[in-house]
This record gives sequence, C-alpha cells and structure tokens, in this order.
Amino acid sequence: MANKLKNANTETREERKKRLTIDNNYEPLVHEDKYILEVNELKRYFEIKDGVLQRIVGYVRAVDGISFKIERGTTMGLVGESGCGKTTVGRTILRLSEKSAGQVLFNGQEVYDLNKEELQKMRPKMQIIFQDPYSSLSPRLPIGEIIGEAVREHGIVPEERYTEYLDEIMENCGLQPYHKQRYPHEFSGGQRQRICIARALALNPEFVVCDEPVSALDVSIQAQIINLLMDLQDKYNLTYLFISHDLSVVEHISDTIGVMYLGDLVEFGSKKDIFRNPLHPYTKALFSAIPIPDPTKQVNRILLEGSIPSPANPPKGCKFHTRCSECMEICKVEVPKQKEIEPGHQVVCHLYNDK
Amino acid sequence: MNNDLKNKDTQEKNNNPQMALDDEQRIKVLSPGMLVFKRFIRNKLAITGSIFIVAMFIFSFVGGWLMPYRESETFKKEVEMSKDYAGISINKDYKFVIDEGYDFPLSAQAQFVQAANKEDEVFSSLDIAYSQKKLAEDVHLIYGLQQVASATALGGNYAIELEDSTLNADFSAAFSDAISEGAAFFEFGGNEYVVSQERKNYTAGVLQPVALALKNIYDYASPETSNNLDFCMKSEIAFAEIASGGAAVQEFTSGGVKYQMTVENDRAIISEVKGDELIEYANASRYLVQPIYADVFFTLEFKTKVIELVEAGVEEFTYDHIDGKLGTYTLHRSNDVWSMKWIEETRVLDTFSFPDSVHPLGTDGNGMDVLTRLMYGGRISLIIGFIVVIIETFIGVVLGGIAGYFGKFVDNLIMRIVDIFNSIPSLPLLIILGAMMDAQRVDPMVRMMYLMIILGVLGWPGIARLVRGQILSLREQEFMIAAEATGISVSKRIFKHLVPNVMPQLIVISTLSLGGVILTESVISFLGLGVKFPFASWGNIINAVSNVYVMTNYLFVWIPAGFCILITVLGFNFIGDGLRDAFDPKMKR
Repeated sequence: MANKLKNANTETREERKKRLTIDNNYEPLVHEDKYILEVNELKRYFEIKDGVLQRIVGYVRAVDGISFKIERGTTMGLVGESGCGKTTVGRTILRLSEKSAGQVLFNGQEVYDLNKEELQKMRPKMQIIFQDPYSSLSPRLPIGEIIGEAVREHGIVPEERYTEYLDEIMENCGLQPYHKQRYPHEFSGGQRQRICIARALALNPEFVVCDEPVSALDVSIQAQIINLLMDLQDKYNLTYLFISHDLSVVEHISDTIGVMYLGDLVEFGSKKDIFRNPLHPYTKALFSAIPIPDPTKQVNRILLEGSIPSPANPPKGCKFHTRCSECMEICKVEVPKQKEIEPGHQVVCHLYNDK
Repeated sequence: MNNDLKNKDTQEKNNNPQMALDDEQRIKVLSPGMLVFKRFIRNKLAITGSIFIVAMFIFSFVGGWLMPYRESETFKKEVEMSKDYAGISINKDYKFVIDEGYDFPLSAQAQFVQAANKEDEVFSSLDIAYSQKKLAEDVHLIYGLQQVASATALGGNYAIELEDSTLNADFSAAFSDAISEGAAFFEFGGNEYVVSQERKNYTAGVLQPVALALKNIYDYASPETSNNLDFCMKSEIAFAEIASGGAAVQEFTSGGVKYQMTVENDRAIISEVKGDELIEYANASRYLVQPIYADVFFTLEFKTKVIELVEAGVEEFTYDHIDGKLGTYTLHRSNDVWSMKWIEETRVLDTFSFPDSVHPLGTDGNGMDVLTRLMYGGRISLIIGFIVVIIETFIGVVLGGIAGYFGKFVDNLIMRIVDIFNSIPSLPLLIILGAMMDAQRVDPMVRMMYLMIILGVLGWPGIARLVRGQILSLREQEFMIAAEATGISVSKRIFKHLVPNVMPQLIVISTLSLGGVILTESVISFLGLGVKFPFASWGNIINAVSNVYVMTNYLFVWIPAGFCILITVLGFNFIGDGLRDAFDPKMKR
C-alpha cells in the first residue's frame, strides 16, 4: 500500500481519476421468480483517505464484483478465509452497508432503490444473525424487549396476540417465556445465539443472513444451533445465506456453496458438485484442510503459501496467482472470466479456459 | 432437594432436549439496575459518601427550616462605650480679655507676665510700650499707648502735628511745654498724656486700656456670649471685693446692663438683673471645663455640677444630659487635670461572638448566626451544584450524542467547539464576569441564576466528549446494527439502545462533577464574585476571613463552612467512585 500511495503522487490527474473510478458496468439481471435473492456484480469498496485534505487515495476492495442467485427455501453457504469479504457481502445485501456498484434484487426489487419508508417496510423480510452473540444484544434491555421491540414497531401481529406470539417464537427457538424479564448477561453463549435467532425470526422474515452464527460457540452448541436453524427453515420456509469459514458446517446446512477469495466469488455451485468435484485451486486447498476423523487415513493436504494479499492492492491478473500451486503466466496478467463447467457449477480460473 | 433438582432437570431434558441448559432453579434474577444498586451498597466508601450527602441535605434543607433565625437576620448586643467627653483643669495662667479694636499679641502677653511677676508698671514689646495696673489679686488692667500727636524739634521750636481732630492749639502748647521741660507726662483737659522721645522726634500718646489679665474662667449661660473687657473688669473687682470681706452681694453695671454677683465655694455667680428678675448670666471660677467635641456646649448647671464633683473627688456620676439621655460619666484625675468620659449604652452588631447557647457556632462579621448561614448556604451551594450539573449534562448529552451518532462533519464541528470551550480559562472569565455584574449592580438572585448558567455552559465539554466517545463506540456495536436491521426508527435507536448504555458513565461523571461544581462555586463566592449577600453560600461564608486576625481568632466562622464543603465534595466523590465500581461489569456480584 505504501508503494501505491507513493505512486499516487507521481500519477497524472487523469490516471488518478481513472484509477479511482468504480466500474459500474454490468448487464442488468432479468428477475426469475424462483430466486429470492439475485446479486449481480456487487461491489463494496471502502475508501482510503489520506493527507491533510482527506482525499480518497484508493479503495479496499472488500467485495469486488460478485454475482450469485439464491432459490427460495434453500441455503447458500458462503465460505472463504478471514478477511475475504464474506461478512461485507451479507451486510451489503441487507443494505446495512452501502454498495459501491452492482445490483441486489430481493424478490425482484432492487434493495438500493427503496426509499426510507419502503426500506423500513422491507426490513422485517430480510434479517441477519450475527457472529458474536455477546455484542449483538444490548446489555440494558431485557430479552423480551430485544425480541419483541421490532415486532411491535412493524406491527407483525395484532397487539392482543403480542405476548402469545412472543412466547411462541421463544419456544420455537428453545427459550422459555420466563426468560423475557432477564437480561443478556444472564445467558450462556448458546442461549444468546438463540435469542438472536428469535429476534430475527420474530419479524417473520423470508430471507436470513446467518453471519457465522456458530463460530463463537463450542461444537456441541454449534450442532444445536445448526439443527435449530434447519428446523426453523423447514417450519417457516426460510432462505438462508449462511456465511462461514467452517466447511463442515456449510456442508451440513447448504444447498449451494459459494467460495470467496479476496472479494471475488471464485467458485459457485451446488453442494454436491463442489464437494465432489472442486475445480478452483483455492477450493481444492480449502477442502483439503477439512479434518477427517480417521487418524489412519493419509490426507494429501494442499498448503497455501503466504497470507491473503491486501484487498487495497490486490495482485494483478488472477487475484489468487500469488498463492496458487498451479499458477501459469496468463494468471499474472489476465483476469479470468466466470465459466460454467457443469450446469449450475461456475468457476473463475484460467485452468478451465479451454472447456 | 438435590434429587428433586436433578429430577426436574432430567424431566425438562426429556421434554425438550434443546432446553437442557435452562433451569428454573436459578437464583433470583436481577435487572442491571438492581445489580448496580446491590454492588453499590456493598461498597463501604460509597455508603459513607451517601451518608455524608444525605446528612448535608438534611442539614441544609431540614435544618434551615427548623432554625428559628432567618437567613440574613442580624443580631445586636448592648455595649457600654466610653467616649472622651470633657477635660477639666485648674487654671493657673493669665487669661487675657482683649478689648475690641485693640491688639495684644502673644509676645506682649509674655512680657506682661514677666512685668506682673516683677511688679513692673511699664513694659514693652515689639517697640510698643504698655503699662499695667493691678486691680486686685491676679487681676491686671493693661494699658497701651495710643499716639495722638507728634513733634519735631526745629531749632528752639517744635513742629507739632496733631493726629486727633478733637485736639487744638492749646494742646500743642501744652505738648511743646512738656517737651521743653523734658517731662514724661503732661495733663491736658483732664487727660494724662505720655511723651516719648526718639532723637528729635517726640510723640504724645494717651493711655488706653487694651486688655485685662485674669486667672478666673468665665462660663456663660449662652454659647453666644464671650468675654468682654469691661464686664470682666467690673466683675473681677466685685469678686475681689467679696473675697476681701465686703458685701456678699455685689452689683455692677456694664454696657448699660445691671449685674448681681454672689460667691459660693470660691465661684462667682453672676446674674443679669432685669427689673426684679435675676437671670443666670455667667459663672467665674478657676476651673476650666472644656468639651472634647467642638459642637458640644456645656450648660452652666452641668459645669457647676462637674466642678463640684471634681472638688468632691467623685470618680463616677450620672447626669441627665441636655438631650434627655441619662449619661454615666467617669472622672479621672491626673495632677490638676481631670479627664471626663461619657459611658453610653449602645446597641451594636454582635459580630464575631463566640459560640454559646444562643448561637451554637457564634456569629460572623455581619452579626449573623453562623449555623443558620451554613444551613442556607448549604441549600444554595447544593442547588447550584445540581442545577449546574443538570445544565451541563443536558448540553453535554445532546451535543455529544449528536456528534457521536452522526459523526463525520457534525462530529468534527462539535468537537472543535468542545476544544474551544476547553481552552477558555474559566477562572479569569468568571472573575471578569463577576466584576461586570458588580459594576452593573445585578440583583443577587438574578446573579445567582447567571452564575448557574455560566458554570453550566463552561462545564459541558467534558460530558459531551465522554458521551460522544461512548456513542461512537456503541454505534458500531452489533446490537446497533441489529437494531437497524430489524428496522427500528432512529429516535428509538438513540434513546432506547444508545442512551441507556451511556447512562452509567454519565451518572458517574455527573456525580463526580457535582463535587467540582460545588468547589468552583465556593471559590468564586469566596472571591466575592459568586453568590452575594444577602444570600449565603459556603464560599461567601469563608469570604468573611479577609484578614489573618479573623482567620486565627475566629475559627468558628470559617472552619464549619470549610468542613461542609469538604464533606459534600468528598461525599459526591465517594458516591461517584462507588457508582463507577458498581457499574463496572467486571466487578463480581
């Protein structure tokens, strides 16, 4: 980044302007009814400001043009190592963080076109469950208020049914009605996560972003929460975007899987396809890291060299070429295009240029 | 019991395996507020602080109500004040009564005294010749020479110049005869003329009484009357007549008025005779009674009384004074001089009286009860403290909240304002504003309100900074994002989610700044620029200590006020610290 900043001083105004212009060219999507969420060339750049005047000198490309679609009632798993932009994708979809470019269609409606009132009406339909069950609950509100506040705000149920509804939701999420008067500090991590789930589900959403909901919990609780989420999915016909870095959890819950690397979706396909036939070298490396509970079995692990490059100054060409074991000359120069290898199984890699 | 618990647990587990972690047998659940309260009351220091503050409140609010005295009631006491009133002496020197139109200077008076002692008839001073004639013991009439004619010798003749138009040529002849005879005196027309020579110049003069030397002192009934030569001379002659065994009642006429004199204890009593009536006119004696104050006139009666008492050797007496006040006087003798003092009962402010049953903490320099002032002062100090902190907190929370929640430009702007306020030197500013209000003669009540507003406006930056920092960090917490995601309105997000989370720090800083405000108020009031008389405040009670004497001798005036300030500030600080500990979630329950 230091290099880049130094260059910024020598480049001309035009070059600078060109570098700082966010490419917002995409082919507009045509909405298909079976998809609840369609993401097209979504970009989220964070500005880097420097100097006395706080001018923009560059961007952190947290999400750098990703596209995927989620069918109603299914779960999409989004995997990738830390810092690859998974959480940003989730938040940008929910408009909790402004997009830089691209399209987010929820039920065919561009989320970013909604005005304040419309967005307010939309909010209950798209919910989020956070990674950290400790910081995501206000410590000064009792549980009943945390779960029920938004229910009242949006008038999800008539007032006379409010208490009943709240009890029902809490019970569905494995909480007891008498917990309502308690405060978050009195609950364990697993219980807190259920409170978070209850808060999201109380609004009767269609789509829930689960932002690593189990990574802060121990394994036995993880299973409970995952099972709870799956039960609730069946019950309410929910659609999940399940963000995780834990492939075994993703394998358990997902119908489709997207693999992210440095703001790019490098591979996308059904769970079956991806686990059976991972195409991208990064996916292969990730999958080789899944521990197998059999000490006698030899695993051919693909070790990734180095750490993830800075998203502020990503490598030229294929972003993965610096760590790729099958790197070719073209990878260092040309950005690979998305190719559909099998029906519904897409990959972004020069290895599959001829297919 | 344990078994029961276990059974219940297992039952629950069987019912719903996901609820395995819950149980209803937990200890009583407390809300965060209750938890803080519990932690607070376990803190000994905090309890001590609370007791201090409660005590101060009872002292100030209930105490002031119970005290029988008002806030600025002054107390007086009866004191006997002795004032120098008069000086009395026995006259041993000659006093001179000088006739109108004549001059008898001090040097001549000295020459006379010498001549009188040597029994010389003639003396001179400053080239002017005088003669004296003893009329009686210690009474001398002094004559001066008045020139009526002058002569210059021209051969055997004399050129005579007459200065008095009543004289004629016969006088000139008599004068030249006298010169040629070398006589010192000559008589003409029944008058005796004195001839004096200076080389060839001769002058003829007539002797005129110029002054009367006497040792008696004349006191007159009327302040307008003063010594008159003719009157004094005749009176002295009469006095001497009585003294030498003549008739006891003497009469004489002076200036066409008839006077009668009697003598009593060596004092002449002279009355004016008007038909059959005798009107008190003057007394004469050797005693000189002089008032200390120029505007006081002693009546004859009073002077007589004083002289009698002096002669009797009395040291204290009472006398109905001329204005009807009964005065007590003391006489103090040293040699032949007496000093008379007047002892007067007066009511004065009971200042700096030591503690007693009426004033448990004594009185201050204005004669007000210190305990009552302390109570009312406590009210004002506490009320000012609270109102200032409320103003501070209100401005601080609103501006800090706006800065923290909206961030960016607004934050920058508000924080720069905070920086500006932080760099204002508050004490000099307060002193200047206080002086301005002094100059404008602002009403003390209005002044107090201004003081509160000024202190509040100066004090908010700290609170704003704290609130802004807290909100800035809370804003990014996931529960705030969750609130946004669930579509809760901005105002609810601020007031239901953010503000309650800032509350603990806010309560702590407000409590701690209460002590600070009370201190600042005392400092300003101590400097005489804050709360003003008639209102009391702990600071302006200490203000009474304006010099070292008061500080070292009247400890009861300022120590209690200082102690009240100490206790209150300490109390608020203890409570503040206690609250901070109690709000700290890392503290054990």
